[in-house]
Amino acid sequence: MKGLFTGVFAIFWKDILSELRTKEIATSVLVFALLVVVIFNFAFESGADTIGLVAPGILWVAFAFAGMLGLNRAFATEKENSSLEGLMLCPVERHVIYLGKLAGSFTFMLIVEAIITPIFLVLFNLPVCMPRLGIIIVLATLGFTSVGTLFSALSANTKARDIMLPILFLPIIVPVMIAAVKATGLVLDGGTWGDISTWLQIIIAFDVIFLVVSLLVFEFVIEE
Amino acid sequence: MDNLNYLFAAYTIIWAVIFGYVFFMHQRHRRLQRELDLLKEDVDEQKMD
Amino acid sequence: MGEKNIVRSNILLGLGFALMTAALYLVFIFAPTEEAMGQIQRIFYFHVSMAWVAFLAFFVVFICSILYLWKRAIKWDTIARFSAELGIVFTTLVLITGPIWAKPVWGVWWIWEPRLTATLVLWLIYIAYLLVRSYAAEASRGARFAAVLGIVGFIDVPIVYLSIHLWRTHHPPALVSDLVPSMLLPLLVSVAAFTVLYIILITRSISLSNLEAEVRQLKDARANQRRS
Repeated sequence: MKGLFTGVFAIFWKDILSELRTKEIATSVLVFALLVVVIFNFAFESGADTIGLVAPGILWVAFAFAGMLGLNRAFATEKENSSLEGLMLCPVERHVIYLGKLAGSFTFMLIVEAIITPIFLVLFNLPVCMPRLGIIIVLATLGFTSVGTLFSALSANTKARDIMLPILFLPIIVPVMIAAVKATGLVLDGGTWGDISTWLQIIIAFDVIFLVVSLLVFEFVIEE
Repeated sequence: MDNLNYLFAAYTIIWAVIFGYVFFMHQRHRRLQRELDLLKEDVDEQKMD
Repeated sequence: MGEKNIVRSNILLGLGFALMTAALYLVFIFAPTEEAMGQIQRIFYFHVSMAWVAFLAFFVVFICSILYLWKRAIKWDTIARFSAELGIVFTTLVLITGPIWAKPVWGVWWIWEPRLTATLVLWLIYIAYLLVRSYAAEASRGARFAAVLGIVGFIDVPIVYLSIHLWRTHHPPALVSDLVPSMLLPLLVSVAAFTVLYIILITRSISLSNLEAEVRQLKDARANQRRS
């Protein structure tokens, strides 16, 4: 158990360090997410009366697209630097690699979301209701990244890797997307924990199921 | 409210698509046949030598 | 193909033909005209049958994907691949006949209703399944990736359905258990006819693909022989 944790942490810390040095992913993802929010604002002409309807959608489209950009880099960088082979030579089980990469992507995405969400709430003049929205974001992001890490590893090994990830990723995350948008809408309308519990349950079920399934099938994705 | 034209359209499309798939399978078969013929010629040529 | 296989496939073809003819008779002549929807309701029988076969096909993909990753026998991959192809053909038909039925009844081609939306998402997942195969660098890798998606995608389907159901609670009528016997019989025969059609098409595809593999092997052997 201790060995598992150190292995996961080592891979996670490696990703954090290399990111701190280059700031390659975080910056571009952050700017991209912000751009999505701004562009969608024009696309929907969100006046005061429609904000409640479109705002949750805009937020989650921004997160999904930005997340995809970040996830794409997660394994593409390893592939380009030919460090994937090195990673696979590590004396650890395959699922340790998966968990390490997942921890990295999850953290990056949470950081980006922690910056984007307040900006978004201010731009759309929405109440800042942190605890409930925070929980939704953390749980949905776990769902996004658990599936995303698996597909990132998969698409990094295909010919059209940039287009392959969205094609695989988007249809699978439909349930999380629906639940997150609905729950966010309720929270922004002043909903209580009871109002969003159904949606949270769906997200949690998705998280658990796809964490387990991804752990089981990950070794088949990166084996050579 | 008979809407027979809609009903006709639905069943026509069902058969058109299924035949389309069968045709697609047939193309695969033809390509295979061609390769097989080439292989046969190859074998015959070698026998002549 | 052995003597026994030919006999078996001929029996299957005959059965398919008989069932399909019976289904057409039952759907168009035997079944009563539905009171509220009129003649257009006759789409229902084939529409539901095809949805059933599509689901069956994707279930076969799921099982064969697991077996492929476990046993690594190429035959499981072949079955999964052609089953996915057939599943997409039938899902496409479900998605086309659905709006044709909806237009005269509901007045619109499409509504974002749970079953329709879930079917569309299902279709997109299996399109991705075929794409991942064709974009992989080598066939063996494509087979592995496709198997992973075959498993993940199928597990996703119930969650997709549940979430969309909660998102849009708009119940369409016609559950199988409420059907009167004179409508249930045509449906059951149609389902049987389409299931046999699926079996015919998939066995054909698989034997074709086995032949393909054999020809390729022979060709390689020839090429090696020439070189030496």
